[in-house]
Amino acid sequence: MAIRANPKLITELEIYGAQDVSKCYHCGNCSATCPFSKEPYIFPRRSMRSLQMGLEAKLESDLEPWLCYYCGECSVECPRDAEPGETMMSLRRWLTARYDFTGISRLFYLSWKAELLAVIIVALIAGAGFLLYGFSQGNITQYNGPDAFLPASSIHIFDWTLAAVLLALLLTNCARMWWFTVGRDTKVHVPLSAYVRKIYLLPTHFFTQMRYARCEQKRPWAIHLVLMLSYVTMLILIMFFLAPMWSGPAVKWSVHVFGLAATAGLLVTTIIFLRKRLKKSEVQYQHSHETDWMFLVLLIVVAATGLVQFTLHRLGLGTAANINYVIHMMAVVPMLLLEVPFSKWSHMAYRPLAMYFADLKAEEMVSKAREAVGAPQAA
Amino acid sequence: MRTGVYLCQTGTGDLDAVNLHSVVSYAGNLPNVEMVKDLGTMPALNIETLAAEIRANDLQRVVIAGDSPGFFKPAFTTAMRNAGGDPSEVRLASFRQHGASFGIGTVRAKSVLACATFGVPYGLAAIPDTTATHPGTLVIGAGVAGIQASLEIADAGKQVFLVERTGTIGGHMAMFDKTFPTLDCAACILTPKMVAVGQHEMIDLMTYSEVEEVSGSPGDYTVKVRKKARRVDIRACVACHACMDACPQRAPSEFDSGIVERKAIYMPFPQAVPNVYLVDEQSCTYVQSDGAKCGVCAKKCPKGCIDLDQVDEIVELEVGNIILALGYDIYDARKIERYGYGVLPNVLTALEFERLTNASGPTSGKIVTKTKRFNKRTKTDEWVFDAEEGAAPASVAIIHCVGSRDANHNAYCSRVCCMYSLKFAHLVKEKLPDADCFEFYIDMRAFGKGYEEFADRIKAEGTFVVRGRTAKVTEQDGRMVIKGEDIVSDRMVDFPVDMVILAVGLVPARGAGELARLLGIQTDTDGWFSELDYNSDPTDTERGGIAVAGVCQGPKDIPDTVAQAAAVAAGALKSIAIGRGLDSRASVPLSEIEARAADLTRV
Amino acid sequence: MEDLKIGVFICNCGTNIAKVVDCDAIVDSVERLPYVTVARTYKYMCSDPGQDMIQADIEEHGLDRVVVAACSPRMHEPTFRKTLQKAGLNPYFLEMANIREQCSWVHDDPVAATEKAAALTAAAVLRVAHHEALERRSVDMCPNTLIMGGGIAGMSAALDLADAGNRVYLAERSDHLGGNVARADLTAPYLDSARDMLTERVTRVVEHPNIDVLLESQVRKVDGFVGNFQTTIRGKADDGAPTDSVYDVGSIIVCTGYKEFDASRITHYGYGKLPNVVTSFELEKMLRAGRVTTKEGRVPQYVAIIHCVGSRNLEFHAYCSRVCCMTALKYAHEVKSAVPGAYVSDIYIDMHAFGKGMEDFYRRSSEIKTLFLMYEKNDYPVIRKADATDDCDMLIEVNETLSGETIEMPADLVVLMVGMEAREDSEEVAHLVNISRDKDGWFIESHPKLDPVATTTDGVYIAGACQAPKDIPDSVAQARAAAARILARTARGKIEIDAVFAEVDEEKCSGCRMCNELCPYVAIEFDPEKRRSHVISALCKACGACVAACPSGAITARHFTDKQIFSEIEGVLA
Repeated sequence: MAIRANPKLITELEIYGAQDVSKCYHCGNCSATCPFSKEPYIFPRRSMRSLQMGLEAKLESDLEPWLCYYCGECSVECPRDAEPGETMMSLRRWLTARYDFTGISRLFYLSWKAELLAVIIVALIAGAGFLLYGFSQGNITQYNGPDAFLPASSIHIFDWTLAAVLLALLLTNCARMWWFTVGRDTKVHVPLSAYVRKIYLLPTHFFTQMRYARCEQKRPWAIHLVLMLSYVTMLILIMFFLAPMWSGPAVKWSVHVFGLAATAGLLVTTIIFLRKRLKKSEVQYQHSHETDWMFLVLLIVVAATGLVQFTLHRLGLGTAANINYVIHMMAVVPMLLLEVPFSKWSHMAYRPLAMYFADLKAEEMVSKAREAVGAPQAA
Repeated sequence: MRTGVYLCQTGTGDLDAVNLHSVVSYAGNLPNVEMVKDLGTMPALNIETLAAEIRANDLQRVVIAGDSPGFFKPAFTTAMRNAGGDPSEVRLASFRQHGASFGIGTVRAKSVLACATFGVPYGLAAIPDTTATHPGTLVIGAGVAGIQASLEIADAGKQVFLVERTGTIGGHMAMFDKTFPTLDCAACILTPKMVAVGQHEMIDLMTYSEVEEVSGSPGDYTVKVRKKARRVDIRACVACHACMDACPQRAPSEFDSGIVERKAIYMPFPQAVPNVYLVDEQSCTYVQSDGAKCGVCAKKCPKGCIDLDQVDEIVELEVGNIILALGYDIYDARKIERYGYGVLPNVLTALEFERLTNASGPTSGKIVTKTKRFNKRTKTDEWVFDAEEGAAPASVAIIHCVGSRDANHNAYCSRVCCMYSLKFAHLVKEKLPDADCFEFYIDMRAFGKGYEEFADRIKAEGTFVVRGRTAKVTEQDGRMVIKGEDIVSDRMVDFPVDMVILAVGLVPARGAGELARLLGIQTDTDGWFSELDYNSDPTDTERGGIAVAGVCQGPKDIPDTVAQAAAVAAGALKSIAIGRGLDSRASVPLSEIEARAADLTRV
Repeated sequence: MEDLKIGVFICNCGTNIAKVVDCDAIVDSVERLPYVTVARTYKYMCSDPGQDMIQADIEEHGLDRVVVAACSPRMHEPTFRKTLQKAGLNPYFLEMANIREQCSWVHDDPVAATEKAAALTAAAVLRVAHHEALERRSVDMCPNTLIMGGGIAGMSAALDLADAGNRVYLAERSDHLGGNVARADLTAPYLDSARDMLTERVTRVVEHPNIDVLLESQVRKVDGFVGNFQTTIRGKADDGAPTDSVYDVGSIIVCTGYKEFDASRITHYGYGKLPNVVTSFELEKMLRAGRVTTKEGRVPQYVAIIHCVGSRNLEFHAYCSRVCCMTALKYAHEVKSAVPGAYVSDIYIDMHAFGKGMEDFYRRSSEIKTLFLMYEKNDYPVIRKADATDDCDMLIEVNETLSGETIEMPADLVVLMVGMEAREDSEEVAHLVNISRDKDGWFIESHPKLDPVATTTDGVYIAGACQAPKDIPDSVAQARAAAARILARTARGKIEIDAVFAEVDEEKCSGCRMCNELCPYVAIEFDPEKRRSHVISALCKACGACVAACPSGAITARHFTDKQIFSEIEGVLA
């Protein structure tokens, strides 16, 4: 069955960052240089091809973009400066928009103004909400205790509600991802048993990101891992240890040591990434999409205000701490509510999922690939 | 005719030498020019707006001026038609085509523009006057192009001075084994021509010599040639090799592209013309020690024709025409580290393989892999070709486009690699029928007479032709592991072979740039000599009496090179026949071009 | 026969001969033959040292006959004849034994091959003993040139010759100069103006005092030989009536060019049936007219360009037409310029962007988002009408090799890049000037590498696309190369004529005139007074037809006497 080509898609993808894909003349260099490109997932060339021809359905069902960590080796070696790495990056953005049923994600990628506006609005609502709540029942000078301005218990509830909303959105999109890439694939059928057998892959990939380590330079992997782990640590602390975190002014090392470490990790890594993107030193940081900046800025604000929060509280400056906390939340809420499900953050979920799915499909496909006659391999 | 002038640049031509502002103001003052508009670089043209403009100024002719204005022509042609004008009245003033991008700059741009506004081809208005031409011709470079050009002219009974940098004529072609697609041996078709040159009474052959200085003007050039000290008397030497046997010093053999060594006093190859020895001062102990050490060859020479103290000699030539046939060098494969050339033993360049498979080569044509050998002098292990001990490769991979078609190296196509790679595959299959042979390519450029058929034949012989250029070569227990993508069958290529041949591209010959400056001619961004006109004058240059032939004008195969070489001979011969040749284009002043263009429109 | 001294020189030709034939064994076998004084082998006999060796032996041993066992005499007989001459021997005292093309290249059994080689060498030795000293003669060279075809190649050659002061007759069939280039507006890869280039050429040709442009003229008859051809050309008189006129020329250049492949021969492209499937030349017309639209007058949104139409396939032509790839890219640029926002796709096999500036042109074509779809040789794309619901007029189904998918490409206008084909009159032309054509109808050059312009007929040259597909610069270069050959000859003013030709022994001739009709080169005249036939040596190509036919055995071909041939046969059988 013939697939209809759509020469228009390539223009749409430009907004997602794929500026140079049309230059590719298919020498195969990139796929061969890529440390992740292995049968049956040969990329980035094939993805470039599908994009050039505008094979939307095919691209939508591809897992390849998520298997790429953008170490940039392909872009460095490319004889036509077609930026395969950047193309994969933009495909990830495009896929994120495709997975998202609300259409918000697409809106954010197509217009940074829309994203900024949304973030500001949510931030203001959050800020207003917390102030109203605080004044309605607490005392601005009190950080914790009986008439605290924002008591940990209620924040805790708020966090959980937020998490629930967030998770609902994310899971729906993940389900859509599954449907696009595995569910509706008629060629490959993955048995349920396999899902169970290989479930361990999800946490492994999530926490170790071991594939990333295959790149020639290990540093990007290390930094990325620290950032990710710090972020997760922070999440866990807030979701499960909010009360002990809140307590004070005495430092409660059993939890705070983690908090401080995570904050440090977040600050250091985000600053490193920020500098790289500004300096455009390495090929993978030469083309930054507006969403990349938003991601880093929010993260820094959150981490910084978090640290300030900690200090003010230890110094016993209740009022300052409360105001700072509201500011902190004005960054946290849009971050969790908008960025995590609809923007760059979502790759935390999509990537490990993709690898999990890829592995499952590969089992079925590799056998087929072997039968397929290619150029005879020398003994 | 009411004329409108639009300036549009593609941004690809090098226009540093052109002052666009002064061109714009100049255009405004030309007769009939109603409007001048500078649309900048790569403008997004709206046809309706253009049409409206044409109507508004009711223009009868539109001139597009720029580095390559043709890229915008269809838009203007359409606009012209939509505006109800005559589509054929859209004219081009191409600065690049007419050399404005090479230094001649603003004045040239103006004259090209002037002609276009008059609707007269620049080439017609800017024909230079003729100058008296000296009957002698200088040919620089004695590869197949230089040889052919020299013979064509000398056979007409005209004097030729053939200057060659190395010790023998023949160039790269003499190194080749067979030639595609006919597979006749290069030596068989070249040596008779070399002999003819060596014996021709009208050819004054100067090997081991270089052009140092060029003065004078078209038709009357004075050239200083440095005859480097060969240290062997050309007339006396009978090539008995007594000197070579005695010589204790060794150096890599240039002719065998370094896969074996030769002595410090040597003959490039047995069929060299002139068939005499020469001393390589770099490796000669006597020369290096200022006569303090060695000198054994001179003592051993039975005819006493070796003069180790000989010094360079400068000769001055009077010539009317100069023909450049410099040829090329090959791309330095070391620059592409991922192919491991120079590190991995059995990764060869095309030229190395040519010598390996050549009947007169170090292994007398036996294709073998290198063997490890302990070098007593340097006390190190080294990899050498040994016809006896060397094993025949069971598998050979040929990688195309090495250093070519690549933004990181040379962006251009080297034109010959596809075909010689296919030829290699044939030679491997012919000599080692059981060996697996792989070609890794991007586009198979088999464009010449009989080439496509040749490619089909190679495939039929069982060579695996794989689309997808190999990305890297690594070593695994003595074998070369190649990694690439087999695009057509959607597989990854990742397997070991015994030998890898890199189809290295062509680059301008060493010193081509300096020579261009010396002669006052232009080179393109890649360093190849620029022809006067891409289509209609592929062998002449901006400078009168100076022509280019063969690869130094751009990569070319043997037939095309020979055709060009004969073509430049035509240019020289016609000027000699009537004793007058064309002056440089730059010699025609702007005012005169304007006047002539005006006249030509009247008739 | 007083005792002769024969030298035998056996060439290894690198390993071309030596790898199969045991050359030293031949030395041993010939040394036993009568008169053989020296027999040697060498790596490359044709090389300088090889020739020096022969010369030295001639002088040292006073050889008076020489046999060289090497490659085909077609290749090196002239070379070794020169060697003999230099050593003061008559060049015709040489005989060559072809032990390469006839032994080492065609046999793989060393023993048998060596035997055969030895036999051939022996034959040569016995033959050479009977060789006679022959003298070459020379005739005057007429400086005029006839050029057949007024395309870019013909005009370029004409200008070079005329500028050198030689008269040129430029015969063109049609009513205008310029050939196929006149149909193009811009040239690849720089999009220069083809029209300006042509205007310049044509003006210079027409105004040149030394060039006679003969439009609507056809060469009808070519008599004579190199340096002295009589050519009959049929042109139009002022009243339009056809008139034949005879022109004396010394050389002829054939620049008859090519014709485009007839696209309607390929059914699956629906050319002639689908209105919006056009050929490259038809698109060229649209572009020149500034009106790139569908037949219905709509502006096309999707334009597809299909490469290799009639080229590089089994059904029609196996060869590559060399220029279509770049022309296709040119159209990609032109269409995008003429129809901003149009989606252009190039459906190709391999992108032949080999020449100067072409790879860069290819890169730029992809930068302007031309979609390149690659298909396998002989696996043609198929074009069909689209449905009413589609946003396009046609759909092209391609088995796209770079993705491995079967792709459906939308198109409103399809451009077929028709290849080059030998003209239908090429056979007629070939016959007229007595040159040969290859299986595709292109004229054959005398040597594909080292002599791309000369032909098997001395004094007749070929240039441009009539020899094989070629782009403009390559055609011009070849045309000028042909001019160079002629200029070199006219500069010398004389032509050497081979000493090998047939002779009639007037004593024996019965005047039956059988030979007169037989001679393919009309080289035999009949003298009514004497009632005897005699041979015009300059025209005779020594084919031997008359020798064999003559009932009274009155004709002998010099250098091919019965004695020589019989002894050669004895040698083979010995």
